[in-house]
Amino acid sequence: MEAVLKNVASAVELLAVAAHSDAVSQWDEQTLSRAFQWAGYCEHVYTRFHTNSAIRRVVEKQLQHTNATLRDAFADYNEVSFMDLPRCEHLLLRALLNNPQLPISTIRILFGLKNGTSRRYHYQEVTGLCSHLIQCKSACEVLCPFSGLSTVSAEAEVQGEMLMKRLGALLSQGSDPSQAEHFLHSSLPLCEGAARHSCLVITAALLTASDSAGQTSSQSFLLDWLQKEHGVLQHMGSTLPSAVLKDLAGAHRKFRDAYFGTLKKWASEMEYSLSDGEWVPACTAAAPALSFPKMVEHFSDLFDACPSLRRNAEDELLHLKILDGDFDARGLSVWGDILSEVKK
Amino acid sequence: MTELQQPLSQLQETSGPLLDAQKMQFWMDKAVAWDQVGSAQTLKDISRHLRGLTDFLQQVLTQISNTGSTAETMKELPCLGQILGRLCWNPYVTVGDTNRGLLLQCLLGLYSENPSNALERKANQWIRKVLCRLATEDDDPAAQILMKSTGVPPKEYHLRVLKKMVKQHQENIEKTCCSKKSIDQRCSCDVILTTSEVFVPLLDCPEASPVICSLLQRPGTSFTDALSEDFLDALNSTDLRLAVDETALVSVWYHSLPRLEEAVLDLLEFATSTGSAPQNLEQHISKTQLPKACAHHCSMFLVVNDIFRSILKQAEGNLAVHSVIQTFTRCFLKELEELQPRTAASLKAFFPQSPTSLLVPLLTLPSEMPQEAWKNHLEWLTASLQRLAEQEEEEEGDSQSSRGHHNVFETWFLLVQCSHWVQVAGELLVTSEAEPCSNLLWLMTFYYHPTNRWHCRAALLEEAKEAWRHLRTLSSASVRPLPTDHLQPLITLLSLKPQRPSAPLLTLSLMVYCAIFCQLPHSQSVEIFQTVVHAAGLLHEAACVLNSLQHRLNEGSCSSRDTVHVRIKKLQSTVTHMQAGVNPHTPHNRG
Repeated sequence: MEAVLKNVASAVELLAVAAHSDAVSQWDEQTLSRAFQWAGYCEHVYTRFHTNSAIRRVVEKQLQHTNATLRDAFADYNEVSFMDLPRCEHLLLRALLNNPQLPISTIRILFGLKNGTSRRYHYQEVTGLCSHLIQCKSACEVLCPFSGLSTVSAEAEVQGEMLMKRLGALLSQGSDPSQAEHFLHSSLPLCEGAARHSCLVITAALLTASDSAGQTSSQSFLLDWLQKEHGVLQHMGSTLPSAVLKDLAGAHRKFRDAYFGTLKKWASEMEYSLSDGEWVPACTAAAPALSFPKMVEHFSDLFDACPSLRRNAEDELLHLKILDGDFDARGLSVWGDILSEVKK
Repeated sequence: MTELQQPLSQLQETSGPLLDAQKMQFWMDKAVAWDQVGSAQTLKDISRHLRGLTDFLQQVLTQISNTGSTAETMKELPCLGQILGRLCWNPYVTVGDTNRGLLLQCLLGLYSENPSNALERKANQWIRKVLCRLATEDDDPAAQILMKSTGVPPKEYHLRVLKKMVKQHQENIEKTCCSKKSIDQRCSCDVILTTSEVFVPLLDCPEASPVICSLLQRPGTSFTDALSEDFLDALNSTDLRLAVDETALVSVWYHSLPRLEEAVLDLLEFATSTGSAPQNLEQHISKTQLPKACAHHCSMFLVVNDIFRSILKQAEGNLAVHSVIQTFTRCFLKELEELQPRTAASLKAFFPQSPTSLLVPLLTLPSEMPQEAWKNHLEWLTASLQRLAEQEEEEEGDSQSSRGHHNVFETWFLLVQCSHWVQVAGELLVTSEAEPCSNLLWLMTFYYHPTNRWHCRAALLEEAKEAWRHLRTLSSASVRPLPTDHLQPLITLLSLKPQRPSAPLLTLSLMVYCAIFCQLPHSQSVEIFQTVVHAAGLLHEAACVLNSLQHRLNEGSCSSRDTVHVRIKKLQSTVTHMQAGVNPHTPHNRG
């Protein structure tokens, strides 16, 4: 273990040198290659130990120590955390390319353009690394507009997989569930603009068929979290197309129930506007809110997708209508109006 | 990609015309227009100009390397920085290997190792910044957050997304096009068309290869080919080595005639440029997938044969070419056999220009009929061919005589494709006891000299008979060691004489057949063979004859053939030894 810690420390120091020192001007192809091997080593350390919280703590402690030393040595030093370890190659590359002392010949190697010819990139090698990166990114951009081919886009699917994998790793460590919840919070921001994206990722994560017990428990955890986080559910309800919501409700009972709960909450926040002759969201209602026809549509879709829910749900709505006075006239009970629309 | 493999010095030598202001303005306008990517029109425009862009970037690169300093280059090509800067951020330009490579080389070419003024220093800074941003920046903040929190590096992320996108496209193709029974094929055609348009810039991106192979392997409808025109054009000019696997090659050939021609010419070059006739010719030909492709698509076979015809006309007496054609046809027939039973009608489709009466008789392999029947078969063949040749002669002098020529040529071409019967003729000549075998000799003469230029066929036939008489004498003589002067007439016959028509190749092949099939003890015949061939210097040709004979005999193997095989092998090794012994500096003999 001591050796591992020492190596990690050396690798982090190497990163700092790559970013800030003019020693890089002396780096030849071999040194460059070795530097990237060190980065690979850090990624390997992460892969091996990221599910082991005890070792993780030890490594983090070492990182703190190394960071402190390097902060004194370099002015604009960027700290390296445990979660930076799997991205070491990227950090190294960024450090090098931002370092004005990096010789242009080294840049040529990274772009696969040594000696004026173009060389193909081979995985794990250094030559042509940047060229390969650009190609992948460009190819994704070229194909992106056409990714409406399936329910979820390729990016959302991959991000969903990433989310679930990390969640699974956190859950398997048997640690405090609040850590996993914190992870979900930080990975799925709900602020302006980001909310839609987070909804798509969650959708992708939930719609991927589960092929292992671990994945099922991760999905279950995510659903539990959703139930607690009404904000997320509301965003999902208002931004996702109804077909997608139907799929989700059909696939996961917990989602169905949580979503039903959200719809009810929405309905309960509606007021009847005499001037419009229609139910509208109250001004005090939390955004985002649905219009009445939209909400009815959501209820209908939900019942279509989950026939088993329909009977109980209709009973519940009827019960709420009765509590409201059991009037049949329109505009007096949102539940009654929803019921009558849904039953058409 | 091949242009990029030339060293820089060569680029300087082949510099094209200087880039003028008009061209620069054209590409400047393009670069600006393409920035508004998003519409299908823009995508089409980009796809159409990708090839032109390659040429332009190549010219820019040449100019950059020819001009001494960056400052000068920027003066000569004023918008260059802007053009390159815009193109760098256009994913349709940077996704393909060729254009991306050229673009990056241009940028790096503009970097000054020792900047001498502010402009160059600024250019350096800009270049570094652009390169850094291109390689490391991500403009999807939400994805970045996830990457950080889940510990997935950008390289892995983008690669996974790309693979998934490709997979989705592939599933889309398969989903909409899998039912062959659907009468209404319009719906699937749209998917193919759109997908092929989308993937034009991705033709030289290896990760896109599953979709490209899927697109190519869709059976084309008989009226409209569903692939977009831009896609087909790009197929002709992009380096496909990385993107297309072997099975999709056949589809590439089907869609792109230049590619098919390229493949055939490559094959011919392989067979004829190696110093000695390649012994694994059949294997090599099969491996190219060309025979299989031709068996599936009649049109391809016709194209390949047209190429063979023109090569034959140019390369008279090149036995290696004969070998290729014969071996290719044999491989082709084998593949065809697997697909459909051989009928005269089906064969006619593949050999439309050959005389129908001769088609099946010639294509039948000797191994497919009893040995006793060979002689009669050959007699019939020779008689038919003689009739045809006479017809041609009669029509000579007539302005319509081209048809006669044409018939004779086509017949002869078919004979080249089916040289097995010529080989059988040679074998029978040696092994049959009966003396009058002039028709067999006629056949062999015709094979090596189809044209009756200057009415020399009679003279050639006489020479063949003379050679034959010498050989007969030699093979029946039992005197050892053979006096050398007995061999001299043969050697003379084997050399080309400019004044009178001569038949060295015919004589040579008669020699070879003699050496293999005659009754002489093998060591003797080898000795004769060695002496004569060495003196005449026809090592390469001897090897060709031996190899094609061996190929044919490998087909039908019966035990009595074993001695023949042994003899052939001994002769082949003799030839190889001689070739090695000959001046090692001659590239011709060293392959």
